[in-house]
Amino acid sequence: MTGSSDLELVELFQKGNETCFNELVRRYQEKIYWVARRFVNDHDQADDIVQEVFIKVYSALKDFRAESGVYTWLYRITVNVALNALRKQRIRDFVRIDEFFDTAGDEHEQPDSIVEKDEQQKLIEEAIAKLPEKQKAVFILRYYEELSYEEISAILKTSIGGLKANYFHAAKKIGEYVHRAS
Amino acid sequence: MFIVQAEHVKYDLLDYAANRLSIQEHDRVEEHLQNCLTCQNHYRELLSTENILKESHEHPPSPVYFTTILPRVRERLEQRRRPVRAYAEALTKVLLPLSVSAFLVLLVLRVPIDFSSESNQTDALQRVMKDLSADEMVQAVEGEYAGSSFTTYQDLSIAGVEEHLQGDRFLKAAVSKQIENEEIAEMDLEGMISDLSSDQVDQVLSKISERNAL
Ligand SMILES: [Zn+2]
Repeated sequence: MTGSSDLELVELFQKGNETCFNELVRRYQEKIYWVARRFVNDHDQADDIVQEVFIKVYSALKDFRAESGVYTWLYRITVNVALNALRKQRIRDFVRIDEFFDTAGDEHEQPDSIVEKDEQQKLIEEAIAKLPEKQKAVFILRYYEELSYEEISAILKTSIGGLKANYFHAAKKIGEYVHRAS
Repeated sequence: MFIVQAEHVKYDLLDYAANRLSIQEHDRVEEHLQNCLTCQNHYRELLSTENILKESHEHPPSPVYFTTILPRVRERLEQRRRPVRAYAEALTKVLLPLSVSAFLVLLVLRVPIDFSSESNQTDALQRVMKDLSADEMVQAVEGEYAGSSFTTYQDLSIAGVEEHLQGDRFLKAAVSKQIENEEIAEMDLEGMISDLSSDQVDQVLSKISERNAL
């Protein structure tokens, strides 16, 4: 099974070989984790996203059609789940639940316990966090994941020209933020 | 006198700085850079940014972490598969998120709500729900009911619930009843927000931005 292509795994899954899902998880968990982590800058939140992505993937696998690559599809789900997580965060910030309710809601404001970050890295993360959604997604997929513009275009359903502009503006903003702060 | 190529290369400059262009693209950028001050300035800036990015390191999680993902995903999938026996249970499971969605929309529509004067969140919730018109209630729950992330409930036999939800009068009564239910007293808004579908999230955020624009 480990020698099978992604598409073969999906087809086997659709024919009833349910354990093929495990191999897909093993194959993509690290990539998905890192995309998620770069969106939210936090291990626990990234972990939630990874879980949610695979739950969605499992439910959607039976309907997967090979018109896009398996991995393009996985990236698209990950980006959508990550963006949704960030939007939920904005709702939390807006309703400021912590003030009204005695919940574990302030967990997200605590620093990432697992990770000791150096100053420079922290600045970069802050700069990326400030980017608009689209620029953020493009920057993460292009700079860190090193995907081609063709691949990113398939994931985000945006023209390559638009992506290049997004990437440029993202890099400019990150540079300005980091230089101003240091 | 140099003739500057009409097309600037600024969009390729970070890739150029990071040495990620094909040979042809690399040469095209290099040639353009020799003659274009604007792009030279962009390049200097992006090169310095690239150096900072390159030197910064993210700390990975423990390698053990990656061995925990699959078992936990499997466990959650297994939980979802367990059939819910009682119809009443199904009704509760559908209606609880519905009422929370309505509450969130209300919260957004009517901020600030003075929570300090309420003895507890249940009272606050009941009060705002009482003020909710049937139309608002329907609007608030529509996205919820159609929300794709609520697949958890799709396996349940909710045809009966769906039938009742057609009438907004019933809907309001049902949701109000749900709020009186003990379960709502333990309402965990944090958890509820986590459970919102992406459509609902967008809906609530657009309400927020509408408000903020006022
Ligand atoms: Zn130029």
